[in-house]
Amino acid sequence: MHKIWIILKSEFLRRVKSKWFVVATLVGPVILVAVMVLPAVLGILASGSDEKAIAVVDETGVLLERMQAEAEDQYRFVAAEAPLDSLRAAVEAGTYDGYLVLPGDVLTGAGAATYYSVEGGGLSFGERLERLVSRAVEAERLEARQVDAEVLEILETSVPMRMVKLTDEGEAADDTIAYVLVGYIMGFFIYFAMFFYGAFVMNGVIEEKTSRVVEVMVSSVRPFQLLMGKVLGIGAMGLVQMAAWAVLILLLLTFSGSIASLFLNPADFNLPAQASQEEVLAAADFSVPEIEPGLFVWFLLFFLGGYLLYASLFAAVGSAVEQQQDAQGLMMPITLLILVPIIFITFIVESPNTTLSVVLSLIPFFSPILMVVRAAVTDVPFWEIALSYLLLIGGFLGAIWLSARIYRVGILMYGKKPSLRELARWVRYA
Amino acid sequence: MLAVENVTKRYGKVVAVNQVTFEAQPGRILGLLGPNGAGKTTTIRMITYITVPDEGQVLFDGRVVGPWSQERMGYLPEERGLYKKLKVGEQLLYLAELKGLSPTQARERVRYWLGRFEIEDWVGKKTQELSKGMQQKIQFISTILHDPALLILDEPFSGLDPINSELLRDIILELKEQDRTILFASHRMEQVEQICDDLCLISQGEIVLNGTLRDVKRSYGHNTVVVEFDGDGSFVDELVRENLVHVNTRSLHRAEMTLVDGTPARRVLDAALATADEVYRFELVEPPLTEIFVGVVTKQQGREAAAAALSRAPRVKA
Repeated sequence: MHKIWIILKSEFLRRVKSKWFVVATLVGPVILVAVMVLPAVLGILASGSDEKAIAVVDETGVLLERMQAEAEDQYRFVAAEAPLDSLRAAVEAGTYDGYLVLPGDVLTGAGAATYYSVEGGGLSFGERLERLVSRAVEAERLEARQVDAEVLEILETSVPMRMVKLTDEGEAADDTIAYVLVGYIMGFFIYFAMFFYGAFVMNGVIEEKTSRVVEVMVSSVRPFQLLMGKVLGIGAMGLVQMAAWAVLILLLLTFSGSIASLFLNPADFNLPAQASQEEVLAAADFSVPEIEPGLFVWFLLFFLGGYLLYASLFAAVGSAVEQQQDAQGLMMPITLLILVPIIFITFIVESPNTTLSVVLSLIPFFSPILMVVRAAVTDVPFWEIALSYLLLIGGFLGAIWLSARIYRVGILMYGKKPSLRELARWVRYA
Repeated sequence: MLAVENVTKRYGKVVAVNQVTFEAQPGRILGLLGPNGAGKTTTIRMITYITVPDEGQVLFDGRVVGPWSQERMGYLPEERGLYKKLKVGEQLLYLAELKGLSPTQARERVRYWLGRFEIEDWVGKKTQELSKGMQQKIQFISTILHDPALLILDEPFSGLDPINSELLRDIILELKEQDRTILFASHRMEQVEQICDDLCLISQGEIVLNGTLRDVKRSYGHNTVVVEFDGDGSFVDELVRENLVHVNTRSLHRAEMTLVDGTPARRVLDAALATADEVYRFELVEPPLTEIFVGVVTKQQGREAAAAALSRAPRVKA
C-alpha cells in the first residue's frame, strides 16, 4: 500500500508540475466557454450588420408605406419607379442590395412578390422579408374590409408560455432544455476524459517500457503496485484538473447573468433604460438552471469509476507494445466500447426511462457516460444509480485483475508485437 | 547468502532455465556467465523476484525471496533505463524511497553518493540532458543507494570510460570487503577474471560449470602455451596442421595455443626454435577464461554458438 502511495505521488507530482498541465487547466474552460458562446456572439454580429437598402416597385401603391413603418432601421425600403433593367443595373452597381417587385394582385391574395438580388441574402433575411410583406398585405386587406378594432386585437393574440416543473420543494422553472444541455456536456466530458487520461496512462506505460526503466521498477515493487500507482496518480491529476475546471465553470455560470445582461438592451424588452439587471434577465426569460449538487457528485464519481475501468485496460495495451503506433490494433476493442454510449446518448436524452435506457445505464462499460446523462435529464431512482455504480466498481476490479495479468508479462516482453490471442495467453500464465 | 535451488522456469513450451542450483556467498563476487539466451536474465529475474520459478526456490539468508528481499538488494539490468524527464535528484530519491528508505535517509544517501562520484551539481539536471555514461553512473548509484546486502550487476562497466570503470571497480571491491553478496553477469572474460572469486557458467538453461575461479582454472590444468618470437611464424601453422595445438590468439610476434590431447609443451618449443629467428618467451600457463568458456559452450552447443557468445567481447589478450 505504501509503495502504491509513493508511486501515485511521484506520477501525480511530475505531471501536475509540468507546464502543459498548468496551461491546459487554465485555458481549457476558456476554450470551452468560447466554443459555446462564440456562435451566439457571431449570430448577434451577423444580424447587426444586416442593414440593407432595397428598391421596391410597388404596383399596389399602398404596401410600401406600411413596410417602411414596420421595418424600422434594419431595412431601408426605397420607392422605385424606374424600368426594371435600370434597377437591375443599380443593384449590380451596388446602389441597392436588391429590388422587390410587388405586383398589384398580391393584395387579392393571388400574386407573388419577387425579390431580386445578386447575393441571395441569406435564410433568415428571406423569412423576415416575407413576413414584412405578408403583414403589410394582411393589415391593408383587414383595413379595406373595415374590420373593427377588437377583431384586430384578437388577431394579434400571442399567449406567453411558462414551463413549470413540480419538485419536492414546490415548483421550479422547468429547464428541460438546459438539463439536456447539461447532460450532453457532462456525458461528452466524461467521454473525452476517459479517452484522454486513459491515453496518458497508456503512454506512461509505453514510456516506462521503451526506456527500460520498468525492469528496475519491478525489482523494487510488484507490477500490480506499479500499475495501480500509475493509474491512481494520473487519475488524481485528472480529478484535480476536472475540479479546477468545475470551479472555473461554476464561477462563469454564477456571473453568467451579469455577463449576459451586458449583451441585452432593456429597450428590446420594452423596459425603461434604467431597468435593473434582474428585471432585464426576467424579461429575457434568462435563467441559469440550478444543478443539484448531487448530480455533480455523481458526475465526479462516475468519471472516476469510468476512468479507472478504461485506464486499466489502456495500461494493459501499453504494456504489450513498444511504441504508440503499435497500440492501434489492440486499442480497437476498447475504443468500440467507449463509442457505444456516444451512439446511444441522443436516444437516452429523448427517452431516459425506457427499459433499454435503464439497462444500458447499468452496464459498467457504458454507465459512466449514460448514467450521468440520465441523471441529468431525469430523476433516476437512487437504487438504480447505486446499483449502476456497484456494477461499475465490479467492472473495474475485473478489468484491473485482467490488466495486471497482461501487464506483468507485457512489460518484460520485447520484440514481436503480440496479437489479442497472445494477450489472452498471457492472462493464463502462472 | 543467496541460494538458488533446483530452479526451473518455462515460457510456454520453452524451458528457459532447467534445474539450476548455485550459491553466492557474502564477501565474494560470483561471476554469472553464459552466452546470450542461456537463461542468465531469466535466472536474475527470479533472484530479484521479478518473476517466480515454476519449480524450485530462491532463498536469501534462508528465506524465500519476495518483496522483503527486494528492499535488501540492488539490481543493475543490462538494458539501462531511467525516467528521462525526472531530474537526477528526484529520480534517485524516488527509486530510494521505493526501496524502503525514508525521504530524509534517501536525501542523505543521495548527497553522499553524488559526492563520491563528484557529480553533486547534477542534482537539478534532467536525466535526458545527461550523456549515456553519465546516466550510467546515476543508475549505478540508484542500485547501491539503499546499501543492499545483495548486489546484482549485469555488465556494469559497459559504456564507461577507463577512469569511471576504475572508480566503479573500486566501489564494487569496497562493497565486497563490506561483506555484500555480489553477482556479476558479463561477457567480458577479462573483467570476470579480474574481479570474480567464483564462477557459474550457464548454457542452454543449465549450469555447465560452477566453482571458485581458482578451482575451475586449475581443473583445466596447464594446457596453454604462450610463445613470443621474432621471424618466421610458420611453425604455428605446422603444429595446427598436425592437429597438435589450436590457436587461441595470434599476432605477428606472439601466439597463444592450447595443447591438444596431451601434446607435450616441449614439442611446441622445438618447433619454434627450429623456424623462428629468436624466441623471447615460452611459458606453460593456465588457460584463459575465454578458452574455458568457449570449450565448455562448444562441447554443449557447437562452435558457432560459442563464437557468437563471445563475439560481443574482444578476446583476452594478456
